[in-house]
Order: sequence, then structure tokens, then C-alpha cells
Amino acid sequence: MGRKRIIDYLLALVIVISLNFFLPRLLPGDPLLSIYGEDALITMTPEAKVELTRRMGLDKPLWEQFFNYLSGIVKGDLGYSYYFQGPVLDLLLGALPWTLLLTGLALIISTLIGFILGVESGWRKGRLADQGLLTGFMFLNGFPDLVIGLFLLLLFGVVLGLFPLGGAMTPYSQLTGVSLLLDVLHHLFLPLSALVLTEIASCYLLTRTTVVTLLEEPFILTARAKGIKPKNIRYRHVGRNSLLPIVTRTGVRLGRLFTGALFIETIFAYPGMGLLIYRAILGRDFPLIQGVFFLVAVVILLINFFVELIYPRIDPRVKNNAY
Amino acid sequence: MAFLFFLIGRGAFVRNRLTTFLLILIFSLFIFSACNSNPQVYTIADTTGDWGFPAPFTHYNRGPGYVRMSLIFDTLLWKDETGNLVGALAKDWEYIEEEKAFIFQLRPGVKWHDGEYFTASDVVFTFSYLKKHPYSWVDTGVVKEVVALNDEEVKVYLEKDYAPFIVNVAGTMPILPEHIYQNIDNPLEYTEEDALIGTGPFKLVDYNKEQGTYLYERNDNYYLGQPKVERLRFIKLNEQMIPQAILRGEVNAGPVPPEMIDTFKEKGYTVLISDYNWNAKLKFNLRQEPFSDLRFRQAIAYGIDREKLVNISQRGHGLEGNPGFIPPDSPWYYPEVEQYEYNPEKARELLKEMGYGGETLKLELLTSARFSSDAELIKNDLEKIGISLEIRVLDDKTVDARTQEWAFQMVLSGHGGLGGDPQFVNNMVLGGSFHSARYHSNQELKELLEKQLTIIDVSERKEVLAQIQKIYAEDLPALTLYYPNSYQVRDNQVNLYYTLGGLASGIPVPLNKLSFIE
Repeated sequence: MGRKRIIDYLLALVIVISLNFFLPRLLPGDPLLSIYGEDALITMTPEAKVELTRRMGLDKPLWEQFFNYLSGIVKGDLGYSYYFQGPVLDLLLGALPWTLLLTGLALIISTLIGFILGVESGWRKGRLADQGLLTGFMFLNGFPDLVIGLFLLLLFGVVLGLFPLGGAMTPYSQLTGVSLLLDVLHHLFLPLSALVLTEIASCYLLTRTTVVTLLEEPFILTARAKGIKPKNIRYRHVGRNSLLPIVTRTGVRLGRLFTGALFIETIFAYPGMGLLIYRAILGRDFPLIQGVFFLVAVVILLINFFVELIYPRIDPRVKNNAY
Repeated sequence: MAFLFFLIGRGAFVRNRLTTFLLILIFSLFIFSACNSNPQVYTIADTTGDWGFPAPFTHYNRGPGYVRMSLIFDTLLWKDETGNLVGALAKDWEYIEEEKAFIFQLRPGVKWHDGEYFTASDVVFTFSYLKKHPYSWVDTGVVKEVVALNDEEVKVYLEKDYAPFIVNVAGTMPILPEHIYQNIDNPLEYTEEDALIGTGPFKLVDYNKEQGTYLYERNDNYYLGQPKVERLRFIKLNEQMIPQAILRGEVNAGPVPPEMIDTFKEKGYTVLISDYNWNAKLKFNLRQEPFSDLRFRQAIAYGIDREKLVNISQRGHGLEGNPGFIPPDSPWYYPEVEQYEYNPEKARELLKEMGYGGETLKLELLTSARFSSDAELIKNDLEKIGISLEIRVLDDKTVDARTQEWAFQMVLSGHGGLGGDPQFVNNMVLGGSFHSARYHSNQELKELLEKQLTIIDVSERKEVLAQIQKIYAEDLPALTLYYPNSYQVRDNQVNLYYTLGGLASGIPVPLNKLSFIE
């Protein structure tokens, strides 16, 4: 990767940071009002309002706010959330582990299962198993996570009573060690299943299509002619070659990990980034909005960078610019 | 869900033993791990969960944040179920008119959670601390001087006669421990354990921001008596799941949708109905023709069937708006004002008088999505009186911003705060916020509003408020369409209730700490 590429990345970062600062400020609505709410503002004196505006730095000219923001980032300080009254970094670090546990596991499981089923199904193109899977996933692909989540919650949580109705752990159960872990898994199961079921279909469909195309390629015919075992052809030849689009897709998804899953988090009252972002936008909490988007932007740029590094290892043709 | 079994089946089909094994393992683990609940814990659920670290300066600036703080910190006075102020840290109080001063007799022998005695100097300290560090729920601007007469008496001098002081300051301001807060320079960012030392009935055991949970334990030495429950727990649940959790006994109290209240009543639960603290309001751009004409606003009031709005858009769960603005369950309500019963005939006459007889008048109504069914009903009603309404639905914040800048013709939005001290009428008529009508053209109304704030005597103040409501209904700076209900359900362990007029300065949350005291 040449110096030019690195400059490209830096340039993208600068643009992202600037947009990140200015865009939320274009939203209509007074942050003071959104933060303090009408209940408090109804009794608030003009002097108190001025004092609060000053405290939040909202009275400073825009360029000065921008400068403070930049120098903060350099120092690793993402600012102070108006609404949550805490450092943005702490808020992000508080929500991130739960989000990564939920969306990270969902991504890994759905990609693994989707890929394996995709290869197997494409290999058996036209047969009953393939038709069954294809129909099933096409059907599933039409449902948003919201619907699947509600369905799972109603059936397993409400009707059968096998799973808790929400949250990430039983509050104040004084559980420790293995029983705590089991409790966390117990709470995780339904939201995780909902996300896996939503994501699995697109991975499966993508893999299957790639596999079906690849099977027509001459190098597969050659491999068969050489007498290589079908299982080896399936994964070493077809499987490996169909990885490329999956890696791209997973790279894109990885960036989204950090933004959480708003609907699933809402339905299952699961703590995470999705709800944090949602509340930040509703409250016009500029520092928090900026903090979240800064984090997401940096992560996406990093992932892109790594995906570019990984490509040549999966497919040497990329390195030779033959693609 | 058949799909999941299908998936497991397929797992075997791909001979991926590991996946199959893991799935079966996870499944069996879940079936064996069961929830346990402790009977001595009283659990309250809500949909937001996190309302901030429950110290006075760090809770979020919303009612439920204040309420979580109020379990730990006491005020001088506090409201009981009927909204009457009863003594908390002060056991008695009086107003000395000549000196414009309140004298509070403090309760002797009260201890802070750390064992120190509470004294008059804590009260004096709190007033001076709040001058330095403004607390958004309490405006102490009217306080001139605070003096401790002795350990058990405090005298508060006001700049002027100011009626809202008693509820909005004495009944809302949490008293801080001087021996702790004198060392805290930045209370907004201070979240150490000792920031939570109060005199209240509960102490905080744990607060978890991410999970949105709180655990309190009772203060056995509470001066009004030992709280009934050992532990109090707040948890976060999705709106639709709260009724289920209550029925299962996992939660003792929480909000429920109106459709479910009958089910709960049948099963012997208590349904709490909120008072009419919030209103949906139609506002006019008083700087523009034809809205600046009184007759036009009256025509609109006659032309909108407010009862229909309650029955259709609120499915009957609410109360028709009072043109005098103050909700009918308020002690300050005055019923004998013009009611504007639905009368399209009269509305058309008024419009004709203004010269809008012939062609249809085209107007724009700005609103946000939550009011869109109301807007449609209003559009239908106004069509009958010759007004063609174009509805523009925008996001809440945008609607508010445009209202603030007078960039609208009519706006349909809503606000709360109707429960507390009737100072809110001043803020909603003369105030500068976009919720306010910003109506300054009636000098008499203006003077009466200013006067009502200075009358300490309740019955005298009620008379002035009656006049204010009469003029308000006549002038219609804005038109209240309805007051919606909201519901909470509880089991019968603890007598939770909505405090009439709202807690402290008017918070409509059914969690008064006095519920836990015998």
C-alpha cells in the first residue's frame, strides 16, 4: 500500500471529522431546550439559561467550538455529553461491550452459517435441499429484524416463558461466576437469534450465487478431471474463491457493529449503542453525536484498510491488478 | 420458529457437528437457568431505565430523574397524595408579610445517612450553594437572604412577595449536607458515593447506567418512620413487556397502554390514572392576519369539535380541553368561562363578520407525527366552516424551531407543566418559549398575571386566577384541545399514587416517597 493511499485515508478522516462537527449543528432545534426539557425550562430564569449555555460552550462562535473539538480529539477527549452529564468516552465505553457482544456474535454466527449453507446449497443447485433452503431464506430475507425479534419474544418470552422479557442480565440477582455467565447468555439468546436470523439470509444468498457461478468455471472442471475429492473441491476451490464478496460484505457489516441494532435493542431493552445514538440525536446532544460518529468513522476507515490488506492474501490476482 | 429447528436439522445436514453441539448446549443451559426474585424487593419498571446518577446535580433533567433523586434527598416541604404541602425537613412554617420572609421550624434530631445531625446551617448552605451552582429545577433568584435563627429555625427573606416560592423552592429544593457539599466544587461531574448522602427514606446501593437499573435500600432511621419495603429496584423493560412482567409478578408497578387497563382491573390490580398535567394545544401566529383578530380565534374554537378529538384520536382516554387553559382537576381551575361548545354555525357567522364569507380560506397547520390524526380531524371540522387546511407534518424539533421563529400560521403541539404552581400560566402567555402564546396585547391580562405571583393567600390568589381564566378564554391566545390520560398499574403491596398537581414543582410521576411510609 503506497503513500498515496495513506494520504487518501487521512483526507477522508479530515472530511469526516469536519462533517461530523457541522452536520449536527444544522439540525433545527435548540439543544438547551432538548436537554433540559420543557418541565425544567418552564421554571428556569433567563439568567440560569445564560449560565447553562455558557457552561455548555454554546455561546462561543462556531469556529471556536470547532477548534476546541479538534484539540479535544487530539488529546483523546471526545467531549462532555450535555444530556447524560458525563464524558462521551465513558458513555461509549459503557455501551460498547454489550453492543459488541450482541452484534459481534450475530455477525460471526450468521456469516459462518450463511457461508456454509451457501456453499452446500450452491453445490446442490436444483436439488430438493437447495430449493428448500433457497425458498426458506428468500422468505426470511423479507422480514426486518423488528418483526423477527417481536415474534421470538412473544413466542419464547411471553407464551412459553422460557426466556426473560428484556434486559442483558437479571438486575441485582447477586449472581457470580458461572451462574452470572449463564444469566447473561440466557438474556442474550433471543436478541442474538433475532439478529442472526435477519443477517443469515443475505450472507447465504450471496454465497450461493457466487458458488453457482463458480461451478461453471473451467478450473472446477479441471479439478474434477484431476480426480480431487468433491469435498475438497467444494471448500478448497469453490469455497475459497467465493470468499471475496463475503469478506467485502463482512467488512461493511463490521463498521455497522459499532452503531448497534436500534430495533432489537428497543424490543429487548438491551443496552447498547443504538439506543445511545437515538437518544443523542433526539436530545441534540452534539458532543455525543459527534463522539459516536467519530468512533464509527474511524472504525470503518480502519476496517477498509484491513480489508484491502487481506484481499491479496485471499485472491492473489488483486495484487497483480488483474482484477 | 420452526425455522430454528430447521436450522439445527440443517446443521446435521452439513455435518457441522460443532454448530449442532453448540446450539444444543446453549439451549439446555437456558432451560436450566431460571430467574429468581426476592420478595422483599419492590420493583418498578419503565421504558427508559437510565435517568442519571441520582444526586441533585447529576440526574437527568427530566421528571423521573428528579424523582429518583427525591428518594434520597428531602426538601423542606413535600406534597402528600392530595397535593397539600406537608412538613418534611421543616415541620412548620409561616409567612411574615411585613418582612416578606418565611420562617421554617426544622425537625429536630434528623440525621444524614452518614450519621451527622442535620441543622439549620445545612439549609442556609444549600441556598448559597445553589446561587453558585444553579440547579435547573429550582430558581432561587427571588431569595434575598437566608439566616439561621438557631439550630432549628431558618428565616428566608424574599426580594418581593412571591407566591410560587412555597411550592417551587421550599417544596422542590433538595437540602444538601454542608459537611459534604462544601468540598464539592464541580457538582455536575461529581459522582462519588458521598454525593448521595441525604436525609431521605432510601439510600442508593447501586446504579447501572448501561442497564438502566437502580437499587435502593431503606433508611431505617428515617424521621417519618421506617419505609415499608427493604429494597426498591428500578428496571428497564420494553413498553409491551411491562404488562407481562407485572402479571408474572416480576414487576410490582409500571406504565401500561390504555387498552390493557380493563384486564388489570379484572385481575385485582390497581390502575393509577394520571392527572391532567399535559395538554395538546393549537397555537396561532398572533403577529399575522387573520390570527391576530380575536373573532377568528373564536371561530376556530367554535369550529373544532374537541369532544370528537378525545373520542377518536385519544380513544376516549383523555379530557376535552378547557378554553380557560387550567385543567379541571387543578385546585386553581375556574369553571365559569366561555366554553365554546361545538357550533359550526356560529363559527361561520364570525368569519362572515370578518369578511371571509365567500371563498374558502386557505391556511397551513404545522404539526408533528404524533398529532397527525388530530390534525386530520381538525381539517375535516374546519372544512365545514369554509377553511381549507393544509397539514404539514415535520419532526418535533423542527416544529418547535419554526414556532420559535414565528414561521408558521397555526401550530398543533403540546406541553406539560400544568400541575404545579399556576405560575405556568404566566410562562405560557407572556413567556418567550415557543410553547408560550407570547401574547402581550391585553394589558389587563398582563397586570393580573403579574399580580397573581405576589399573592401569598390562596383564596385571594384563586380569585385573581378566576379573572385570568375568564380573560384567557375570551381572548384565546391559544386553544387547549385536550388533556390525555396515561396509566400505570401496580399490585397492592405499596400504595403508589399520582400526587395531585404533580410531585415537587409538578412532576407527573406516581412515585411519592411518602407512599412507602406507614
